[in-house]
Amino acid sequence: MNAFAAYHPTVLLTYFLSVLVVSMFALHPVLQAAALLGGLVFCALLQSRRRTAADLAFYLPLFLLIAVTNPLFSHNGVTPLFFLNGNPVTLEALLYGVQIALMLVGVLFWCKCYSKVMTTDKFLYLFGRVIPKLALVLSMALRFLPLFLRRAREVRRAQKTLGLLAAKSRVDRIRGEMRVFLAVISWSLEHAMALSSAMKARGYGLKGRTQFSLFRFTPGDGVLLGVSLALFGLTLAGMATGATRFAYYPRLTAPPASPLGLLALCAFAVLCALPAILEGKEWLTWSFCKSKI
Amino acid sequence: MKKDILALFAVFLLLAVLVNGTRIQSVEEYYLLHLDDITPESETVTLSIRCDTALAARDDLDPALRDADVLPADGVILPPTQYVLRAGDSVFDILRRAVRSRRIQMEYQGADRSAFGSVYVQGIGYLYEFSCGPLSGWMYRVDGVFPQYGCSNYLLHDGQTVEWLYTCDLGRDVGCAWKVGKLN
Repeated sequence: MNAFAAYHPTVLLTYFLSVLVVSMFALHPVLQAAALLGGLVFCALLQSRRRTAADLAFYLPLFLLIAVTNPLFSHNGVTPLFFLNGNPVTLEALLYGVQIALMLVGVLFWCKCYSKVMTTDKFLYLFGRVIPKLALVLSMALRFLPLFLRRAREVRRAQKTLGLLAAKSRVDRIRGEMRVFLAVISWSLEHAMALSSAMKARGYGLKGRTQFSLFRFTPGDGVLLGVSLALFGLTLAGMATGATRFAYYPRLTAPPASPLGLLALCAFAVLCALPAILEGKEWLTWSFCKSKI
Repeated sequence: MKKDILALFAVFLLLAVLVNGTRIQSVEEYYLLHLDDITPESETVTLSIRCDTALAARDDLDPALRDADVLPADGVILPPTQYVLRAGDSVFDILRRAVRSRRIQMEYQGADRSAFGSVYVQGIGYLYEFSCGPLSGWMYRVDGVFPQYGCSNYLLHDGQTVEWLYTCDLGRDVGCAWKVGKLN
């Protein structure tokens, strides 16, 4: 089990929200690179190596596609590389596309980590009593896609045993996949309704109902909460004062390096590296204990 | 297998159309434009591009533009220059030829993507719509009158004067009087 996932849900939610807020709104390439790198390392720690390699194989083409799309539609920038049908394709637009791609892939990795660490029971522990209906809908929505993929695999396997996906022709195979897709869609929608009535039957949202998982807020949780809030605050201060401002159009411009700007960049880099740092600490402790036996 | 070949053919056709429709030019090649020489009998129009209002409202200007320092200090992107008028030339045709010969950056939205059935000029010389407040953008004036319709629908005649002016206040700061309910 991951060391980071053992912390209190409040701490985890605060942490993920602060990382996501910065990486969704910051334009500085260093902030984006830190977010992507942190998310990638965290994700690699949470899952098997094969899964990570498969993720990379999926996200790399996505990254390139987004990066290349922007200069086709945006022609601002002082450095034209070449002209496409009479419109300039500029270096600045290309770099801005890379920045958008960094942001998107980074956020996707962090969301992946979120869904692995913040399991449904943790989410319901936090919000099940305050906003029961919204919490249930949100947790179901967040779980929808992973569950969907797992079900699609099941249906595909079942269809294969029936010999329905064995066609040689690619077109026929795509049509077979469409069939699987439709089946899984209706299954998922039906399941969502069944789940909500099952939760109702179990008295979800009623007064005096206890939680499935219980979490205690330990001093360690307090420390991590304090540290991540402080780092988040520093980053926000850098963003609010414009010290980490960065513009792509019409020319790459950034304000001269200031102590606050550098501090904000470092703070966010540390914030993104926190899960990896904690994991490393756990690993060191473990190997130290093992050596004593 | 027959279906596969058919699908492959369709993809190939699509690619061919795509490749056929794109034309890549190097920067030098694009700017290598020969303008028609002005002879005594050729019809001409005068074109100028100015952005004084954006310089006057420096506080509203996009900080990225202020930092990049790309706007001319005197507000003149293109001084009044004569261009040869070809038959059927619109304001947009002249503008396009002028910016290309002067290496001025320009971005526009094609007529097919605009609700007015005309080309919409988004930015000239890195100065874009909304770069200087929510009411800012490019307008054009022909012989002192704002035509109030798309620049690719306005056909020019010999001797006319076209001015492209940047406004920060929906035209009011460059002398465009809006008549409510009726275009002037």
